[in-house]
Amino acid sequence: MVKKVGIIGCGTMGGFHAGFYRQIPDCQLAGVYDIAEEKRNKFAEEFKIKPFSSYDEMLKEDIDIIDICLPTSLHKEYVLKAAEKKKNIFCEKPIARNLEDGKMMVESCKNAKVKFMVGHVLRYFHEYAKAKEVIDSRTLGNIGVVRAMRGGAFPHAWQEWYADYQISGGLVLDMIIHDFDFLRWCFGDVKRVYAKGMINRGYKFIDYALVTLRFKSGVIAHVEGTWAHPPGGFRTKLEVAGSKGLLNFDSSDSLPIHMEVKDTGGGRGVAVPESPIKESPYLLELKHFVNCVINNKEPDITGKDALKALEISLAALESIETGRPVVLN
Amino acid sequence: MVKLGIMSFAHMHAASYADCISKLEGAILTGIADDNPARGRKMARKFRTKFFNSYKALLDEDIDGVIITSENSRHRKLVELAASCKRHILCEKPLATSIKDAQEMIDICRANGVKLQTAFPCRFATPAIRARAIINEGRLGKVLAINGTNHGKMPGGWFIDKKKSGGGAVMDHTVHVVDLMRWFIKQEVVSVYAEIDTRFYNIKADDCGILTMEFGDGTFATLDPSWSRPSKSFPAWGDVTMEIIGTEGVLDLDIFNQKFSLFSEKEGKESWVNWGDNMDMGLMEDFVNMIEEEREPSITGEDGLKSTEVALAAYLSAKRKESVRLPLE
Repeated sequence: MVKKVGIIGCGTMGGFHAGFYRQIPDCQLAGVYDIAEEKRNKFAEEFKIKPFSSYDEMLKEDIDIIDICLPTSLHKEYVLKAAEKKKNIFCEKPIARNLEDGKMMVESCKNAKVKFMVGHVLRYFHEYAKAKEVIDSRTLGNIGVVRAMRGGAFPHAWQEWYADYQISGGLVLDMIIHDFDFLRWCFGDVKRVYAKGMINRGYKFIDYALVTLRFKSGVIAHVEGTWAHPPGGFRTKLEVAGSKGLLNFDSSDSLPIHMEVKDTGGGRGVAVPESPIKESPYLLELKHFVNCVINNKEPDITGKDALKALEISLAALESIETGRPVVLN
Repeated sequence: MVKLGIMSFAHMHAASYADCISKLEGAILTGIADDNPARGRKMARKFRTKFFNSYKALLDEDIDGVIITSENSRHRKLVELAASCKRHILCEKPLATSIKDAQEMIDICRANGVKLQTAFPCRFATPAIRARAIINEGRLGKVLAINGTNHGKMPGGWFIDKKKSGGGAVMDHTVHVVDLMRWFIKQEVVSVYAEIDTRFYNIKADDCGILTMEFGDGTFATLDPSWSRPSKSFPAWGDVTMEIIGTEGVLDLDIFNQKFSLFSEKEGKESWVNWGDNMDMGLMEDFVNMIEEEREPSITGEDGLKSTEVALAAYLSAKRKESVRLPLE
């Protein structure tokens, strides 16, 4: 049976997700909602779906999946309402701005017996999934130090919400939570967190953080997040060092296509690097969720996983603010 | 002509220094003394110079300065001996294995009117000099953060005997990059946090860690000093890298990245062949030049002490599981 999907939020991720749902055969885009009328109408036109003028109205419809692509601090309200109406929910990461909200969301979905998954999409990135395979194969022996990097230029979105620390939590909560989730997936729970970052330093549109995680297993991880780079490419790196070997990759090196075309205006050439792959990580992620809904299965990324990742991010933020290591229990 | 002696070949850098001296027009290697006579004789033959049976015998020769490349914990004794014989000194890093030793070495050199220079060859790496110039020109704006690495292979020998080395990877690989950071931004470290462990090898010294530092002006930095490069398969000995984040731009420095890959059937693996300038040559030229011009050393004993203090603070922090303020009590 075809599952009907409603998209909430017409920002970058909303459009992204809508595009991928169209590629899933068992799926049908049923509608979109955004508080901005003009944006949702444009979006509806682009994807040839119905724009809803209110969230409540949308929830009344025969829709199976609500996909929430809103600023973090709004997640709770929208998830709780959807759960109440027995909708299955896919929610962008991070799950929430604070642990209490997150716990309430997970609990509500559990009680409503609906599927709930948070978009920790890194687990579906081919290079990260393959890296975990290598780690699990013990080829690297005992893992000692892991280094992860993620970032690029400062993101500008609706009302500059990324720059509002109270809403987004900065890159520590919004972006490197991807790495935190991935590392927890590979190495288990974190014992201690120490971090430095740009909070309370008075810089606008610059965020940068260096985070050290000590896992219960003893693994030491260093995570770098940057929104301090000039506009240009987004970059990720991973290095895993073990007693028997070392694995590393840099997204800026894994580009099978590098095209340079002459600017017709006679100016500089434009370089367009690409890493084409059949199934986008986002497609794999959403496909998995839709399959879970169809087959009544628990998603790979559980509510608990999302809460644990949030906990690491919040600990890093606390460490940045206090200058002290934070111990997780 | 500046006449030099080398005291001990315990540290492998001695061979490179001797080679550089042999290529310098204004300097001559008068002799070598080593408490391991077999090693000393072999090196004396290799570099076509004289072997002396005792350090005192070498110091009694008509020489201007000595290079001390013994085990770390013996630096102090040899510095004291050379200073009392009124010879200028270039001492291998880390300057000492305790603050007390380092301070007394500085004091005795001053009392005897001899110059004490710490061997930080990275300050003579052409890419590092260029990076510093870019920072000083203000092209990155205000430096906010630095993400550094000094990875290496596990060296074995006395490096993993804490009585002789003062510590493992953290003692061995903290000081180079900390010295570069201090030199780049002209600030002192005011706090250190570190996670340190032995996770790669079955040895009694630490082989990995992550340090987090904050400088006087609020700049924060991390440093990975781990011996995390696999000894048989990694194509080089290690790296020295710094990613420098400024308000107006970012700079990636990879000091040894002037290289090409070599795939040899004999080696059975890839190796990196470096074609950049020889930084040890720069260090030797500077030391010889200091003696000739009777000027102050470009890298002082205090510089050696400051970076050693960071390594010692890192061990203290890892033990206390808290950040440690500098200067140490």
